[in-house]
Amino acid sequence: MIRRFLGSRALRKFSRDKLALVSLVVILLYLGVAGAVGFFGFIDREDTTDRIGPDNQVGWFETPTVEQRIHALEFYLDQIDGALGRRDPAKALAAIDFFGLRLASTDPDEVGETLDEVAEPFDELYEVLEEDAFDDDPANEERLGDVEEGILGMFVEPEGGAGRFRRLALAFGTDRQGRSILLRALYSIKVAVQIGLVSALISVLIGTLLGGAAAFFGGWVDAAVVWLYSTFSAIPYIVLLMVLASMFLGSSYEGTLVPVYVAFCSTFWIGPCRVIRGEVMKLRELEYVQAATAVGFGRMRVLMKHVLPNTTHLMFINFSLLFIGAIKAEVILSFLNLGVKNEPSWGVMINQSRQEVISGFMWQIGTATFFMFALVLAFNVLSDALQDAFDPKHV
Amino acid sequence: MWAYILRRLLYNIPVYLGIIALLMVALRVNDPVWGFLGKNADQEAYEVKKHAMGLDRPFHEQYIGFLGELATFDFERESWTQQGRTVGDLVADSIGPSLAITVPAMALTTLVALVIAILSAYTRGRLPDKFMMVSAVLGMSISFLVYIIFGQYWGAYVLNDRLGTEVFAIQGYESGLANWKHYCLLPVLISTIVAVGYDTRFYRAVMVEETNRDYIVTARAKGAGKGRIMFVHMLKNAMIPIVTRVMITMPFLVMGSLLLEVYFNIPGMGRALYKAISENDFPVTEVLVALFAGVFILTVILTDVIYALVDPRVRLQ
Repeated sequence: MIRRFLGSRALRKFSRDKLALVSLVVILLYLGVAGAVGFFGFIDREDTTDRIGPDNQVGWFETPTVEQRIHALEFYLDQIDGALGRRDPAKALAAIDFFGLRLASTDPDEVGETLDEVAEPFDELYEVLEEDAFDDDPANEERLGDVEEGILGMFVEPEGGAGRFRRLALAFGTDRQGRSILLRALYSIKVAVQIGLVSALISVLIGTLLGGAAAFFGGWVDAAVVWLYSTFSAIPYIVLLMVLASMFLGSSYEGTLVPVYVAFCSTFWIGPCRVIRGEVMKLRELEYVQAATAVGFGRMRVLMKHVLPNTTHLMFINFSLLFIGAIKAEVILSFLNLGVKNEPSWGVMINQSRQEVISGFMWQIGTATFFMFALVLAFNVLSDALQDAFDPKHV
Repeated sequence: MWAYILRRLLYNIPVYLGIIALLMVALRVNDPVWGFLGKNADQEAYEVKKHAMGLDRPFHEQYIGFLGELATFDFERESWTQQGRTVGDLVADSIGPSLAITVPAMALTTLVALVIAILSAYTRGRLPDKFMMVSAVLGMSISFLVYIIFGQYWGAYVLNDRLGTEVFAIQGYESGLANWKHYCLLPVLISTIVAVGYDTRFYRAVMVEETNRDYIVTARAKGAGKGRIMFVHMLKNAMIPIVTRVMITMPFLVMGSLLLEVYFNIPGMGRALYKAISENDFPVTEVLVALFAGVFILTVILTDVIYALVDPRVRLQ
């Protein structure tokens, strides 16, 4: 069986397609990251929900503007100021920890003193900025540098592995709640792969079994299956998704992946069901099927062992198409507030970045779109290559 | 012919009955009255609301009652969230804005996609074709929502900022032809850009398939030029799947582009449904979905009939 597969025309054709091989590598890479996140805890859930720094900090290749720099300083000052105002300032100061970025000293008096020193020039600069007069005096740039040194000098960067992790987490900036965009986007790979795999697998399985049985047995089975898929497909796809996902609002499943699975699986099985039904209609008339029946195999055995294995290529193609469908539909569900809420996902990120884009901050939408784009593109190329490779009309 | 239409209608009756059952079950999984009133609502208010909607009756009675309403086109149910407005009013108000977006969008998409597909099929295997097909795949790999967000950002915010006047509205809607460009053109363009990739690939595949047929070989053998084969012989035959595809998208015209309507705050059918679902407006949700499904089935039947008229190979038996 395996030898036959390795020597098959389809595989030879597929492996000649360089682009398809590249896309396969990309997909494996994504699966690897998903596995590392899902099984080995490469990124914890907390890493995607904890603050790493000021909100909407820019990523590695963009130099922050003066406004952004002052905004970041303001954030750190507020954090220290807030901690000093607590009943137990020493404890609150010690609790300040942005992915390992801690205060050098947690003695309230000492911190308070340093704070007073830097607060005054900071306030002056803040006012200058408010009056839109920052560029009028070239010395302002230098003063901002000094203030930055003063405020950031109160913190110590973590060293070694923790330091590298922090720098990596900041590489693509932070979102509106000061969370790491890169870590959230990487964690979303796991969510996307999970949604894609589960929805596509179950849908293809249901579709194949129902479609195969319908075409093979005919009669009332066929009528029932055709009725079932006509019914499901007569409600516009997006409306059905909304109705099904909204069934779970208010229940304990709200915000988890369960409504997403249910909505996708019950809409996606129709495609493979139609295709496989059509294919089995053709297959069941072939001689080898009649031969199997003549030998005396049961109907069920002929269907499962002889007919359905010959539709494997359609299952692969449909799986690949539905995987894309699931990832894209997840974004739409998130936009409609019916999707994932407990975990980060590309849909959640894109939806959150709506306000950021208006103010010109592109890091979150850019990162989420890029990660999603690469995976969906790889699957698009793979689907095309599979269709080409399995198409007997092509030489 | 009429017998064929009648048969298609009869065949779809059980399908529609199934849809209504599915819809009613799905909307009753979570008690809609609790969902609307909130978990801490007064028991008495709950009973009153439930009785008024007839939700305390057994399911089969509700089922028959709802079918009766649909069959007699009785859309007098009052919305829960918008006092004094019936479902019929809502549909009457929101169908216009929906059509104002979807009809031009569909026309533009089909036109652009056909032109690109013809160019692509004409230069098959060469650079323009490859370029267009790669762009289509690249474009298809980006989420619809990203197109909408950036479309609004560049089309409304940045453009208005650069030009100093408001060319496109950031969101909202006003009726009237004079306002159309201001409110609807941007959503129409966005929806065209998104849809054109899918359509182009489909139309190109149709035409490429036609090129392998015998009549093309015949035409070539008798010495017809490439352009003549393309536009006189091939396009005519390729029209059948193209017309089918356009017809299939017709029901979505009525539904409107839900995402665009929600994002741009255009008071169409899609947004009406979205609002009804998210605000737990049960009577509106139920009727709207049932209506969409009905329109969908009718267009599918219409497609079959037109298909049978256009394609002589389809027999009406």
